[in-house]
Amino acid sequence: MVDRYLAILASGILLGGIYALIALGLTVILGVVRIMNLAQGAAVMLAMYLAFWLFKIFEIHPYVSAPLIILVSFFLGVFIQRFIVQPIPGAIMDMVLIATLGFSIFLENLALFLWGADYRTVHTAINNMIFRIGPINVSYPRLVAFIVSILSALVLYILMKRTMIGKALRAVAQDREAAELMGIDSKRMYIYAVGVGTALAGLAGVILIPMYYAFPSVGGYFMLAAVVVIFLGGLGNMIGCILGGFIIGILEVFSGYFLTTALKETIYFSAFILILLIKPTGILGLGKGSERIGT
Amino acid sequence: MSGKTVWAIVGVLFLGGIPLFVHNPYFLHVFILIFLYGAISGAWNIIAGYAGQFSLGHAAFFGIGAYTSTLLFLKLGVTPWLGMVAGGLLSALVSVLIFYPCFKLKGIFFALATLAFGEVIMQVSIYWRGLTRGSLGLMIPFRPSFYNMMFESKLGYYYITLIFLLGIIFLSYSIENSKMGFYLKAIKDDEDAAEAMAIDTAKCKLAALLISSFLTSVGGSLYAQYITLIEPEVAFSLFGISIQIAIMSIIGGIGTFLGPAFGAFVLVPLGEFIRDLLGGKTPGIHAMIYGIMVILIVILLPKGIMRWISDLVQKRPKGVPAKG
Repeated sequence: MVDRYLAILASGILLGGIYALIALGLTVILGVVRIMNLAQGAAVMLAMYLAFWLFKIFEIHPYVSAPLIILVSFFLGVFIQRFIVQPIPGAIMDMVLIATLGFSIFLENLALFLWGADYRTVHTAINNMIFRIGPINVSYPRLVAFIVSILSALVLYILMKRTMIGKALRAVAQDREAAELMGIDSKRMYIYAVGVGTALAGLAGVILIPMYYAFPSVGGYFMLAAVVVIFLGGLGNMIGCILGGFIIGILEVFSGYFLTTALKETIYFSAFILILLIKPTGILGLGKGSERIGT
Repeated sequence: MSGKTVWAIVGVLFLGGIPLFVHNPYFLHVFILIFLYGAISGAWNIIAGYAGQFSLGHAAFFGIGAYTSTLLFLKLGVTPWLGMVAGGLLSALVSVLIFYPCFKLKGIFFALATLAFGEVIMQVSIYWRGLTRGSLGLMIPFRPSFYNMMFESKLGYYYITLIFLLGIIFLSYSIENSKMGFYLKAIKDDEDAAEAMAIDTAKCKLAALLISSFLTSVGGSLYAQYITLIEPEVAFSLFGISIQIAIMSIIGGIGTFLGPAFGAFVLVPLGEFIRDLLGGKTPGIHAMIYGIMVILIVILLPKGIMRWISDLVQKRPKGVPAKG
């Protein structure tokens, strides 16, 4: 019995790693540009399809084609910021929300138009390999997904702390006007931030495709989860993001085991309302007032 | 009589007289949809436009209204006239329980929380098959009578939805020019400052929320009576309802009493036209165009047609008096 619970717990943590990765992308964008990019889920979907087709046509394994897909996703993000968010007069938050939703409607239906509503996934030998830790069996794609998620969070953290661009991004996040006075081109930084955030969504798509089906509206599921994750973790907080990812992942698998998977969003949304009532700034909130980011 | 009153009477007479000249059921159908969407967009505008609480979860109230009146009618034989009031009250109750705590969140976070809430209500209604028959949907048998709120011709629906729309426009106009309207505008501009001016911000927002959720729910009931088939994916649709009514208000002019109706007059016929032109042939195309349109509207017309027109009017050369 305990073994079974441990196995469920493990799969929850592994799932949470992917949620954390998608939410991390949103957090970077939210922290720097102060916008919520609702096309993040569609970016995950697009990356899944891209990985699928590269495998199907050229037989390139998703783990190999990852750099290319990350690059493509980065430019998708650049496009979103440069041609959808930037032209909005005054970049009003509500309007950005609607415009990015509009773009995600477009991408979803583009996928539906080009590739139909079929469920597609990548089957390789790796899928069936199983890794054993004591009583727990873990499939390789899940393990890889988890390790990649944690590693990329670490790499992102180091890049943000150590590199010039990372420092510039953080400067813009803290105080845009002061950063501009220091000679930082904040518009350029915004474009980089959305690019990096969307690239993380692309990476998530790549590591998802060996264990999950791609279909046009798949992004919506991840989008909703990622939004709840960044609320839980305290807005704009990278470590809180990873913690929030684990919580949602664990909550999802246990509620699926004890209740039903059909209500998973209902479960974590209830948890979200509960936390909202107790601590509006999230678990690791930035302190008083951080819920106002983006107003 | 002031110029405004004259214009209002002319407008009402014109809309009321259209069925005298137009008998084509398809055109009447488009008008009914315009009135219905214009009305719920107006209801959304009360909380989002005036109070600045940008909800993306209004589909929840629309769906609750549709399901409450339909279930009361199918299971207990209650007339939809009462059913829609019951649905409205239930929606108002739900809005207090769920949206009220979300008032703690500002700006886009309120929008996202309400969006998630709308999705969850849809999920529950799909899951709760014993009550809602899940994705199969509920069918209302067509038995036309006033008691059943079903009519042989489209005229009955035409006038009911028209009255509903006019009622909401009048209510919005009254709110805009009342003390509450000024309070709400103050809250929208700067909530802390409004509170410092001794405005009871919580009470004002709650009042706007109750009105908005109740009316959106009534719109849902009317929709159910008109279409006579409700499915969770349609009645609780994020894109079909929540986003759609927001877009209509934005196009027309968010926070103006005529804006939402204007938006519906532009968007509903446009949507029907694109659907007729492309729909059915290939999946996805018509929604792709819709997505692009949404982006363009937000970029080109963020202040809406109403304000765009009034800006144009104000740019007239000096010496020409501006009208009322």
